[in-house]
Amino acid sequence: MRNAYGLPLFVIFLYGVLYIPIFVLIVFSFNENALTHAWQGFTVDWYYDLFSSVEVWDAVKNSLMVAFSSVILSLSLGSVFIFFCRKELVKKLLIFFYGSLGIPEIVLAVGLLSLFSFCSIPLGAATLIAGHTLLGLGYVIPILYSRFSELDVSLIEASYDLGATQRQTFFSIILPLLAPALVASGMLVFIISLDDFIISFFCAGASMQTLPLYIFAVIRTGASPMINALSTVMLLVSSLLVLIFSFLHIKKTRMLP
Amino acid sequence: MNIKEKIKYYFVENSAFIFSTPAIMWQMLFLYMPLLIVVYMSLKINGSSCWYAVTLAHYKALLAYDYLKIITRSVCVAFGVAVLCLLCAYPVAYYLALRVPRRWKNFLLFLLTLPFWTNFLIQVYSWVFVLDHNGLINTLLLKIGLIKEPFHMVNTTWAIFLVMVHYYLPFMIMPLYSVLEKIQHDLLEASMDLGATHWQTFKNVTVPLSLSGIRTGLLLVFVPAFGEFVVPSIIGGGKHMFVGSLVTHYFLVARDEQLGAAFTIMSGCILIICALALNWVCTVVFQRRVREHS
Repeated sequence: MRNAYGLPLFVIFLYGVLYIPIFVLIVFSFNENALTHAWQGFTVDWYYDLFSSVEVWDAVKNSLMVAFSSVILSLSLGSVFIFFCRKELVKKLLIFFYGSLGIPEIVLAVGLLSLFSFCSIPLGAATLIAGHTLLGLGYVIPILYSRFSELDVSLIEASYDLGATQRQTFFSIILPLLAPALVASGMLVFIISLDDFIISFFCAGASMQTLPLYIFAVIRTGASPMINALSTVMLLVSSLLVLIFSFLHIKKTRMLP
Repeated sequence: MNIKEKIKYYFVENSAFIFSTPAIMWQMLFLYMPLLIVVYMSLKINGSSCWYAVTLAHYKALLAYDYLKIITRSVCVAFGVAVLCLLCAYPVAYYLALRVPRRWKNFLLFLLTLPFWTNFLIQVYSWVFVLDHNGLINTLLLKIGLIKEPFHMVNTTWAIFLVMVHYYLPFMIMPLYSVLEKIQHDLLEASMDLGATHWQTFKNVTVPLSLSGIRTGLLLVFVPAFGEFVVPSIIGGGKHMFVGSLVTHYFLVARDEQLGAAFTIMSGCILIICALALNWVCTVVFQRRVREHS
């Protein structure tokens, strides 16, 4: 090709653009200067602050609680729906679940807020979980459906022929076969819920503080480098999770013939 | 048959109905019903106790220059972000799918998905350190001596634009990559064997085959970028109003739910029209391409 190095160079440049801000953020989590974005000296004080802060860990606890609940809710609703609903019907109803992906999140959030204020439901953890489960279902059901439709129907028929009830078939045949898809979509919902800001901003109310809400509040009121330290820790944790996940995935695909 | 058995029998008989409805009910209750409530609120007369007293006054109030300007700005920025994302993402997806050595591929894909999993707010906030008065770019340029005064970059529409392109880039790369990866190498080789140049092969074979990915990517970027609220408020300092920021203002600050609902519905309709138009353009281009070459 005429310019064989043009394309790789552009790709490297774009990767640089993707990573430079995050890199700068990490570097500045060790900055002594709290007020401006100019480098002054090395310190780990912000990490001390971070780990001794009560507010941050409260927010982490809330975020994890909401994320776990919405994962469990959306997975159980989704898997039961996929198994028990007739297949042709699922295909027709699938479009219903894409709604939460096709509509901008801010419209979803406005809708949820209006619903809760219309029915005078107090905002809090429950309303937040409802919103995140709604987001999660939009991902869980298409993923589970595509996995379920790839399954060998004869396995299910064999189970029925051998005298298993519907419940037995569900728990000992379908769930184990769907396990990879369940794990993948569960993780996706977990991360989406942890990361979600807009729905939380509208539906959490004043008493409920999740991690993104806390970060936003601090950034808005003039950030301290503690946010950088928090970001660095979160980056480490999430990249570790992605690594573990992709490792598991590679192992699984290797095990297949 | 006693009651217990009857209940059990009922459950077994109707299990399909009982177990498949909760998911649909959830979707109805928390997605479609709220949308209806928003429509209703946008039509309700302020402070009227009569529930069916409806009016179009809120919509009329929104047909002012200021509101239309905000919507136009959001449409333009979202469209620009989508197009720029496409221009930047296509070479990357192309390189990853068709050119890169196999052993590097998974690693590069991993690097690409990593920012995707990091918190959105953190990604946006990290740009402040790059664009600020004494941030990375200004410090570097001052050190080199290219400029004497620091550039003013935060709080401008361009900064918002740049940060949005940065954030939405993976949303564009992923669908493009998955489409480009499925292209059979034989087709490209056949085109080259028949005497087409690299550029002709790219233009006439690769791009038409990846049009479905282009369409998905454009919509995946355009729709969320239209309702963007976080980037204008962190990078723009809340000075530049976008659709997302105005909706948030109405519902959470001004507490004017009727006007906010009307504005949400109006901009939602415009969004749907724009998305359909985008989809239509992609389809027309696709069909013309196919007709030209068949």
